[in-house]
Amino acid sequence: MNRYRIAEILTGIDRRIIYLSILLATIIPFLVGFPQPIYVSKESRDLYNWVENIRDGSTILLTFDYYPSTLAEVEPMSRAAIKHCWRKDMKLICMTTVPLGGPSITERVMNDMATNWAVEELGAKKIYGVDYINLGYKPDYKAVLMGMGTSFRDIYPTDFRSVPLDSFPITKNVDKYSDVNFLYIISDNGIVDEWVTIANRQFGIPLGAGVTAVMAPKFYSYLQSQQMVGLLGGMRGAAEYEKLIGSEGMATLFMGPQSLVHLMIIFFILLGNTAYFLGGRKV
Amino acid sequence: MNPADSSLIEMSVAGFLILSIFSFLYKDNPFYRLAEHIFAGLTAGYYVGLIYQTVIVQQLTIPIYREGKLELIFPALLGILMFTRFFDRFSYLSRISLAFVMGNTAGIFLIQQLHGLVLPQTQATIINPLAGSWLLGAVPGGMIIIAGVITTLIYFYFSKEHKGVLGKTARVGMVFIMISFGAHFGYTVMARLSLLIGQVKFVAFDWLPRLIGVN
Repeated sequence: MNRYRIAEILTGIDRRIIYLSILLATIIPFLVGFPQPIYVSKESRDLYNWVENIRDGSTILLTFDYYPSTLAEVEPMSRAAIKHCWRKDMKLICMTTVPLGGPSITERVMNDMATNWAVEELGAKKIYGVDYINLGYKPDYKAVLMGMGTSFRDIYPTDFRSVPLDSFPITKNVDKYSDVNFLYIISDNGIVDEWVTIANRQFGIPLGAGVTAVMAPKFYSYLQSQQMVGLLGGMRGAAEYEKLIGSEGMATLFMGPQSLVHLMIIFFILLGNTAYFLGGRKV
Repeated sequence: MNPADSSLIEMSVAGFLILSIFSFLYKDNPFYRLAEHIFAGLTAGYYVGLIYQTVIVQQLTIPIYREGKLELIFPALLGILMFTRFFDRFSYLSRISLAFVMGNTAGIFLIQQLHGLVLPQTQATIINPLAGSWLLGAVPGGMIIIAGVITTLIYFYFSKEHKGVLGKTARVGMVFIMISFGAHFGYTVMARLSLLIGQVKFVAFDWLPRLIGVN
């Protein structure tokens, strides 16, 4: 069999066989286990250390800036961030700039963590309005981000459930960025740019972000310019944070299939290039 | 969706729609199109309801009627003018609203980009390449940043033909850009796979076992 014939066979592989291989590589690690060592990167450790060094009981602004389509990647980050903050008895002011699903994701994750995880891990429920609050969504994110620098109440006169902010102990002394100690962004879109350029640069609030892997390379420049204290990039970043807080969750579990599928993709890339070089212009 | 809190019916709807969308990988089919149309319709309906509640009700009618904020009538009028586009005779009036939006956005955007992005990023590039430790990679890292910024900027300098030293420098800039694209592609693959893994776990290990009574 000459090299042109081999190249023809390789380039003729049905794409559906590749899809099936990827599916199998995703399922098999769940069945037989494929644990991977997790090495913590500097940017994840920096974010962890920053939060760790904030005084216990401080107030954190936590965002849920992601759509339901990226839940698998970013929800583990939200959960890890909440665990870390609540172990330090921090107060969480939650909000979203995403209309489609953002408010309900915030509500679901916060309620689940407050009633289930907090009882198991901390021995007591976290109370809505005392330990956390969900401000929900308001349209026109630029106006929201800028307005919150002057007064949270101008933008959010009520919480997600239409109860006035003044009736909650958690927001009693909080009305602008300077009243919170840290901005923790979990996002799957370009809103991080707005948070950096408005909340950090114009109002001086320190911030860190957990973002989808697609977004991560873009935000490394904010680490270099020290506009961001740390960064979690994709599921790997979430798994690193889970390791740092000593609580392995979904992200750690998902690293097995992810690693195997990556190996599979590298194999297919090599196969494709082999076919290209064997076949030259003839194939 | 959190499987522990969901009913079998909710999970089955989600599972069916996930499989319908994935069925496109085999070929286009009615199940895929059904799921696509449901998604488009739901999104449009959800947005209409959400914007009505969060803008019209919470930020306009309640403040005007209950709090007496009559100044909000002005932005409301600007909003109404946008609808004049549907009538040829009065459509020019919508330009007033558009002009307001454009002027406002341009002003905010200019300051935000200059103050929040261009200046700090430029400042972060003005570094002493020899400061720091060779062993920890600070010096090579600083030099790579400076070389990357300068050569990439030269690549996008089109006022002179890319020949000689300029051409070679631009080519180095292109290498930096390609490396950046490679990093973006790698991260994108990782992101998309994360989503696939999440959906596969839901279908194969949360929904199907519960559907057939194994779980």
